[in-house]
Amino acid sequence: MRSFAHFNAATVDEAVSVLRRYGGKATVIAGGTDVLGRMKDEILPAYPEALVNIKTIPGLDFIDEIDGVIIIGALTRLEDIALNRAVQASCPALAEAARRTASTHLREMGTIGGNICQDVRCWYYRNPDNRFSCLKKGGGRCYAINGDNRYHSIFGGSVDQGCYAVHVSDMAPALVALDAAIKTSRREVRAEEFFKVGMLRTTILDDDEIVTEIKIPKPVGWSAFFKFALRKAIDFPIVNCAAMMALAEGKVTEARICLNAVHGTPYRARKAEEVMIGVSINEDTAEAAGSAAISAAIPLTKNGYMVQIAKTMVKRAILACNCPDKL
Amino acid sequence: MAVAAKPGYSCPYCATSFNTVDDLKDHVLKVHGTEALPRPEGYVKLTVNGQAWELEVAPNWTLFYLLHDQLGYTGAKTFCDRGACGSCTVIIDGRPVLSCMTLAIECDGKNIETAEGIAAAKHPLIEAYVKHHAMQCGYCTPGFVVTAKALLDRNPDPTVEEIKEALAGNLCRCGTYPQHPIAIIEAAKKVLAARSENTPA
Repeated sequence: MRSFAHFNAATVDEAVSVLRRYGGKATVIAGGTDVLGRMKDEILPAYPEALVNIKTIPGLDFIDEIDGVIIIGALTRLEDIALNRAVQASCPALAEAARRTASTHLREMGTIGGNICQDVRCWYYRNPDNRFSCLKKGGGRCYAINGDNRYHSIFGGSVDQGCYAVHVSDMAPALVALDAAIKTSRREVRAEEFFKVGMLRTTILDDDEIVTEIKIPKPVGWSAFFKFALRKAIDFPIVNCAAMMALAEGKVTEARICLNAVHGTPYRARKAEEVMIGVSINEDTAEAAGSAAISAAIPLTKNGYMVQIAKTMVKRAILACNCPDKL
Repeated sequence: MAVAAKPGYSCPYCATSFNTVDDLKDHVLKVHGTEALPRPEGYVKLTVNGQAWELEVAPNWTLFYLLHDQLGYTGAKTFCDRGACGSCTVIIDGRPVLSCMTLAIECDGKNIETAEGIAAAKHPLIEAYVKHHAMQCGYCTPGFVVTAKALLDRNPDPTVEEIKEALAGNLCRCGTYPQHPIAIIEAAKKVLAARSENTPA
């Protein structure tokens, strides 16, 4: 790693002011598992001049439950979320997503804030030493379209429809399915509006803005999370899916289904949700919802297989939500 | 990785280096006329296996580099250097973490435990690993042992499934995986037995 300036922030305001002073040339570090990998590989055209350590800010590492609403501090490590009883009891999708992320070591280091702010995955974008000056870096072309695109977007491109990198967070689809709100140093947005791929960025965060809290409203139904990856541990998902279903008298009254690793941002399967409203959860309806979820898929040359996996993930997640007594 | 300074105590005003904190304090008082020693960033206090260190570190030093190359704790190994293999595992404040993906400058005030400390304490894990030969080339073994120690500290009686899940982040290219749960369960029994002997009935 090349050198950089390092700041330990004592408060959120201090972190924000250092970030503002560096005007986009500083990077926030919490768990460091994504940012240090990016810096060691030097994947980006510009190397950060400074790192702002936010682990030193007290009071951002907590899980609170107030009247069914779960509030998680941005610095809460994934292992703590996976093992938290309140999260397991009311938001099983979130606990399972945390448990299935990476490995024990990385869960002990990685924070929920960092997990949702991680950069997208694409082996051209992430190639060491900035070897491919791709579209997302301002290079004008996406190498995945004509290259090896087996782990790329099946729902079209982002960044003016041209970048096929995927967002691989496991926490993100669970937060979208649970309709969480993400509180930053200056605003509060709904989880699904938080993710936005642009040139060199994956969220709506400004250069001088950090995530502080994640608020999960009292879930209206049982939720579930499924992940398909080549290996059980460490691997990023090929496709993952989180779903939450509210049931009344055996019929679905509210459905939220979100896939990830299939697009530049978490992909909310609205067509599948429409299929589920007003019907009961069974093999046939879940199958129909799975088909609806992938109806807009436009796979590239080598990732057609992901479409079938996405369909199955949606089906399994819906079926696992059929537990009206558990909540 | 660039070597910026040797571990030691360098003056924040003029960068002269000293062997002990007292020498540095004397120097600051005499030459710069001030008693208060400012704590610039890069000056960290940490404990490794019970031994206290006060050091000056560069911002881009990883904890692995500090432990392995600067302080000589060579138990942790680097293999992938990207947080995917577990060879560089150390325990920081009870959590098994990857020292290659941790910045040394962010370890101020931390209590760090390495494979050396576990061996020096004669932890039953070491004997069990040798007995069951849970290694072949041995390069990844310290990472496994440290992870297993962190698991036993929290969960003194783990099941095979729990062990497998805890060790999922440690890779062994020799393929010694089946031996690890056997060794760890045997060590866990010894730890529990030793604990019940020490506790008066």
